[in-house]
Amino acid sequence: MTMHGRSLIRSVRRRDVLAAAAGLAACAMLQPVGALAAGPWQRLDAARDLIGDTVPDTTGIRLDLPLVSEDGSAVSVAVTVDSPMTDDDFVQSIHLFADRNPSPEILAVELTPRAGRAELSTRVRLNESQSVIAIARTSRGRVLATARDIRVTISGCLVRADTYDSPADLDTRVRVTAPARAGEPAEVLTLINHPMETGLRLDEAGDPIPERIIDRFEARLNGEPVLRARYYRSLAANPFLRFHVAPETPGTLALTWTEDTGRIAEAEARIRPG
Amino acid sequence: MALLINRRRALTLLGAAGAGAALASWGGPRVAKAAAPHVVVIGGGFGGATAAKYIKRRNPDIAVTLIEPAERFYTCPFSNLYLGELREFESIGHGYDELRDTYGVTVLHTWADGVDPDAKSVRTRNGEDIAYDKLVLSPGVDMQWGAIEGYDEGAADKAPHAWKAGPQTRLLKSQLEAMEDGGLFILAAPANPYRCPPGPYERVAMVAHYLKTHKPRSKILLLDAKDSFSKQALFIDGWESQYGDMIEWVSLSNDGKVVRVDADTLEVETEFGTRHKADVLNVVPPQKAGFIAERAGVTDESGWVPVKPATFESALVDDIYVVGDATVAAPMPKSGFCANTQAKVVAAAIVATLEGREPPAPSWSNTCYSLIAPGYGISVAGIYHVVDGKIAEVEGSGGVSPREAPDAFRTREARYGAAWYAAISNDTWGTAGK
Ligand SMILES: Cc1cc2nc3c(=O)[nH]c(=O)nc-3n(C[C@H](O)[C@H](O)[C@H](O)COP(=O)(O)OP(=O)(O)OC[C@H]3O[C@@H](n4cnc5c(N)ncnc54)[C@H](O)[C@@H]3O)c2cc1C
Repeated sequence: MTMHGRSLIRSVRRRDVLAAAAGLAACAMLQPVGALAAGPWQRLDAARDLIGDTVPDTTGIRLDLPLVSEDGSAVSVAVTVDSPMTDDDFVQSIHLFADRNPSPEILAVELTPRAGRAELSTRVRLNESQSVIAIARTSRGRVLATARDIRVTISGCLVRADTYDSPADLDTRVRVTAPARAGEPAEVLTLINHPMETGLRLDEAGDPIPERIIDRFEARLNGEPVLRARYYRSLAANPFLRFHVAPETPGTLALTWTEDTGRIAEAEARIRPG
Repeated sequence: MALLINRRRALTLLGAAGAGAALASWGGPRVAKAAAPHVVVIGGGFGGATAAKYIKRRNPDIAVTLIEPAERFYTCPFSNLYLGELREFESIGHGYDELRDTYGVTVLHTWADGVDPDAKSVRTRNGEDIAYDKLVLSPGVDMQWGAIEGYDEGAADKAPHAWKAGPQTRLLKSQLEAMEDGGLFILAAPANPYRCPPGPYERVAMVAHYLKTHKPRSKILLLDAKDSFSKQALFIDGWESQYGDMIEWVSLSNDGKVVRVDADTLEVETEFGTRHKADVLNVVPPQKAGFIAERAGVTDESGWVPVKPATFESALVDDIYVVGDATVAAPMPKSGFCANTQAKVVAAAIVATLEGREPPAPSWSNTCYSLIAPGYGISVAGIYHVVDGKIAEVEGSGGVSPREAPDAFRTREARYGAAWYAAISNDTWGTAGK
């Protein structure tokens, strides 16, 4: 297994972060899903199970994704939840769904206050035009939900990425942006080369290719959990996850990916607050 | 605004009553002509020039003004062939003589700086205000400066995008000429959507052709923000058969996405922190609709222009029609061919509306030819129509060249590509395109 990005990248891209945040804010203003708690999550069993009897808050949670995708095989999706991420008030979990995919679950992430910021991005498979749904639960029992529509067009001009397998298998990549100060969140980018076989694809002989996916991912800082994720087959091939970690002291971030066969890939990165 | 009846149609209608009467009565419509509707077209590229011409072809009584800064328009199509030394630069340049002299279009060589949709008028850089009844925008794309850290307008003087044909294309060519044998050419390709999906892949093939001929020890690295691309298998087969291992493609998931550029050192940094140093660096950044679209208020948060599919009228502002790369027309690609057929649909819709008729039901076609080497062409084609109020590809209409094909087939497609260029040049600007 190769390990990229072991070196520490010190420059904090503050301008980028601010620009990205401004972009998210602009999107949120343009696309209010409605102050009412009604939303596509009510039509999705898996989402209803999470929400239970509570009425979800539709403010304080934002989804950022394109309005149109010309190739539904790897659509960038970002979700941000407003939260202080302190020990007594933090986002415990974030869940992503695609309501018209063969299996709507995309990603379920459990967070700890060590993450420092409740913001994730990933790349997802979208079979057709539909709603992407994000649901978050906080340590104080609040439930937040939002959704955004995306149009997926299928064009003969563009091939879908998932028709091509990457020759690299279980190669991992990590990049950590050093935080400016102790306790401030650093950005972590992670990727593992993996086909995320859905079980829905046929081989050349017309037989189904069995499902084989990375189904778990975990990040620990100096042995303490930062984040634990379930990956589903609606996650794009070569699963990508961007999250945050807020280290108080220099430390080691240890990452583990587990395939549903039990195979494991690991990577490490040093973090040193600036 | 008075409804306008096509002069030829008027003559035919009146023909039944007698040609003499028709001619005698022509004084009437002449008066009306003073109040003839005015269509302003911004942009004299594939979409704009075609729209201006086809409005006039359908109804010469409509006054048409085309605003385009360049007196000679250089096409992106076949600009890669110039890089490969298979075309002279002047062979991809086109003027506006036919529009002006044959079709009576008023051509103003200046920029449009603003649009006032309420007053229905366009402000030119000369400070003139031009009133319109219908406005057509075909401004093409602008680069999203700063979307890649360090890549701004100044950086493009050192690391050209060459994604608008002209001085940028010539700069890239001169840099390739100055590069030593054994050098590294890097092209950074953007994520979808962007102008010309197969463009970056044809470009590296044409650069490879140049390098193979003059600097055969050189290498090409294509750093991509995507995991797949248009005509992928055909391109990869073609690159290998024509250029061996000269071209290396690095996909998004193999850390191909460029996030930072240092134009002084020609270094790029990718998403996961890999650095590459080029001898010639060609950065094709993310794009958006040409700036006038945003000023006219027709863009959405994506930076592109949503349109009503049946007419390509803006989904946000009445009486402004938008065609070409600036629009969200997916699954139609951002190609010159599409801009041309969209412009014909817009011309038909505008003329019909001005004549008080329903716009006809549209359909569009597209073929993108790419050249991998002299005598080695490939293509992808599609036909599009409106289904449930959205543009869709007609099922089974599309197709790419077969993967296994005899040399004669590739040679034929290369010839078709050249014939396509001559035909669309003639259709758009009335020029030879040879
Ligand atoms: C390398 C490359 C290769 C390509 N090859 C092909 C190919 O083989 N086949 C194909 O079909 N397509 C090809 N394309 C795509 C093609 O170039 C575009 O799709 C096409 O140019 C789009 O037409 P348009 O009218 O939208 O924009 P353009 O053709 O770019 O025209 C826009 C015009 O508007 C003018 N303009 C902009 N703003 C203003 C303003 N404010 N006021 C006045 N004028 C303004 C500009 O000066 C420009 O002349 C290629 C593109 C590239 C980059």
